Amino acid sequence: MTRVAITAIGVVAPNAIGINAFRDLLDSGKSAFRVQDFVPKQFIAPMKLRRMNTLSRFGVAASRLAIDDRGSELPEGAGVAMGTAFGPVQTSVDYMQEYVEKGAALAPPQLFAESVANAAGSHAGIEFGLRGFNVTLTQRESSALAALMYAASQVNKGSVPAAIAGGVDEVSEIVVSVLDRIGALGRCSRPFDRHRDGMVMGEGGAALILEADAADAYAHVSGFGIARDRTSTISDWGDGVDDVVRAMRAAIDDAEITIDDIDAIYASANSSIRADRLEYRAIQTLFDNVPPVVATKGYFGEYAAGGALQLVAAALAIRDQKLHASLGFSEGEEAMRFTPTREAAPRKLRHVLVNSLSAGGGIVCAVLSA
Amino acid sequence: MTGAGIICSIGRNKEEVWRAIEESRAGIGKLTRFPGETFPTDIAAEVEADIDALLPVSRREAKRMSRSDKLAIVAAKEAIEQAAVATDRAVVSTGTSTGGLVEGEEFFFRRLTRGVAPNSRVLQQPTSGPSDAVARVFNVGGGVISNATACASAGAAIGIAADYLRSHHADAAIAGGSDALCRLTYSGFNVLQAVDERPCAPFSSQRKGITLGEGAAYLVLERWDDAIARGAKPIAELCGYGATCDAHHPTAPHEEGRGAEAAMRGALSDARWNGNGVDYINAHGTGTLLNDSAETKAIVAAVGTGVPVSSSKSYFGHTLGASGAVEAVITILALAHQIAPPTLRLDDPAPDCALDYIPHTPRPMAMQAALSNTFGFGGSNVSLLFRRA
Repeated sequence: MTRVAITAIGVVAPNAIGINAFRDLLDSGKSAFRVQDFVPKQFIAPMKLRRMNTLSRFGVAASRLAIDDRGSELPEGAGVAMGTAFGPVQTSVDYMQEYVEKGAALAPPQLFAESVANAAGSHAGIEFGLRGFNVTLTQRESSALAALMYAASQVNKGSVPAAIAGGVDEVSEIVVSVLDRIGALGRCSRPFDRHRDGMVMGEGGAALILEADAADAYAHVSGFGIARDRTSTISDWGDGVDDVVRAMRAAIDDAEITIDDIDAIYASANSSIRADRLEYRAIQTLFDNVPPVVATKGYFGEYAAGGALQLVAAALAIRDQKLHASLGFSEGEEAMRFTPTREAAPRKLRHVLVNSLSAGGGIVCAVLSA
Repeated sequence: MTGAGIICSIGRNKEEVWRAIEESRAGIGKLTRFPGETFPTDIAAEVEADIDALLPVSRREAKRMSRSDKLAIVAAKEAIEQAAVATDRAVVSTGTSTGGLVEGEEFFFRRLTRGVAPNSRVLQQPTSGPSDAVARVFNVGGGVISNATACASAGAAIGIAADYLRSHHADAAIAGGSDALCRLTYSGFNVLQAVDERPCAPFSSQRKGITLGEGAAYLVLERWDDAIARGAKPIAELCGYGATCDAHHPTAPHEEGRGAEAAMRGALSDARWNGNGVDYINAHGTGTLLNDSAETKAIVAAVGTGVPVSSSKSYFGHTLGASGAVEAVITILALAHQIAPPTLRLDDPAPDCALDYIPHTPRPMAMQAALSNTFGFGGSNVSLLFRRA
């Protein structure tokens, strides 16, 4: 595919508001799963704030930060592709609580308006006057990458002059309790580690601005591959190694490079037993010589910004020509033939593969290039 | 497009649905899905069919599915069988507004009253559910793409699939949408005062709002040359689509139909058309005061006053996230039969709706191309342009 530039980034991440704070977070070697020091009114007018739930606030603030990072407003025709794994589940719960207490006729309309999954993306469109496409992708752990893929396709097609691709998700009581009961949650996030016992849920928002090839860019989006693991169950990962390999290879082919051109892999690994095993087996199958693999979800968990923080980390790696340390990994399983990065290190990075494997079988892989 | 499948309140497949269209028979009746609960209005366009009996899966597997998943599978099955397409390299692209929310509500109620509820109910909640369920049942290997863009979802799903075929990220696509009625939506549109207490009357001076419906529809899309090469018979051509945002208001459309007009223009420009030659428009036509007025202005601005327009929602209500696909199938059937479906109950057209809305009865007419509009909360708009095969 024709390359598309990532020209600006905004993040509302756990312990990191803004791209520079996020860079510091990745250098800190510390985990943070909840967004705590976010002051929405720094980004959104009070009258508008009342109409927005947490996800909308994450989405609009991240978009504001991205536009600030770009240094100028986006053209009116720009589009928005937001990704979210769970969407505003908490808003639906709040609505149903009122429904139970006050009755079906007296629940608050404002909560209903915010209960749709595309509320965050729509608010970003309204706030910044963006009249291009406005679509919200909801492919579980792959939501942000799916959003990036659609946004990049539209910039390439020429249907928009620029686009925001991003993601939003929040840690809500109901989602955490359900993930916990099905055994998906672990004590801590240890991607690829032999003692991993499940994911940790993270939250936040991110927005990446995509434009046709530009001189000054964090990185370029240069290829995508999608596939589906036909062995997966509805709420877990399967063992369809060949399907994951197919998606990675398709992304590399789409970028018109070879397997040997991949300088690093920013892995999907989220500390789930099956997910991480599936991914490391697929990586070893495709790559005879496995390039450095970075597992980022030890920093901010799974679902952080709909999965977009992993993507932002990969874009920063290319911008800074530096690999991040994989947090939470100490020792791999015997069958694992590579060791994720243990320390941050300068590195020449031309092409980075970004993987995203979701429960239920969806696979989206992207290649980011310098 | 080599296959199409549909299920909604007027039929379980294309044949039943089209027969109802030809007989001007609406599928709107008393709300029965939520016994014991009282809403300000009490009608809906429900799917009354025994959906489980139509599913190509075991009863055990069906128990794990949401109603939206099941509706999706029924429609996808019809589409895939017609196309006879290999699914191992196909992608599924689904739009849904609520996914398994009705099961989520049951989980919520059980938890509230008993403290615990079975996980099985809430695992079906994600809006990725229908895509994942269709992909699983039909052993789809090319990928899954779900979007939840409110009522524009299924239109977006079809557009996304078309673009990924053109960019060769997919070789075939099963694209559509699914949404089951749920309490939150039924109550929510009521508290917004957007529901007509009588069956909706799009473009009428009596219109007071929507009638909520449910359903699913899927199309099988392939690159034209690939379809011909494998000996498939295209049933219509998807020529282009436009996707835009009003950037105006979270729930209300822009009064002049700014985004809707841009979506129709986008569809024409995607197909490299100048706007001449559109013979029919299947409108979003919800029956709300704001939509029908704004959409009429948008149509006039995009293609002028000479194109007949109708709202199929007068038959099967607003199927929400599925509407883009359900109404796409109606549009394709109209092109195939060379009969434009009417707008039912349009006794008294509103002064702000001054187009030819094909009142009451189907109209045989020559049609080469038609637009299908679908708009949603957040001001998201999608318009699809189809041409007769």
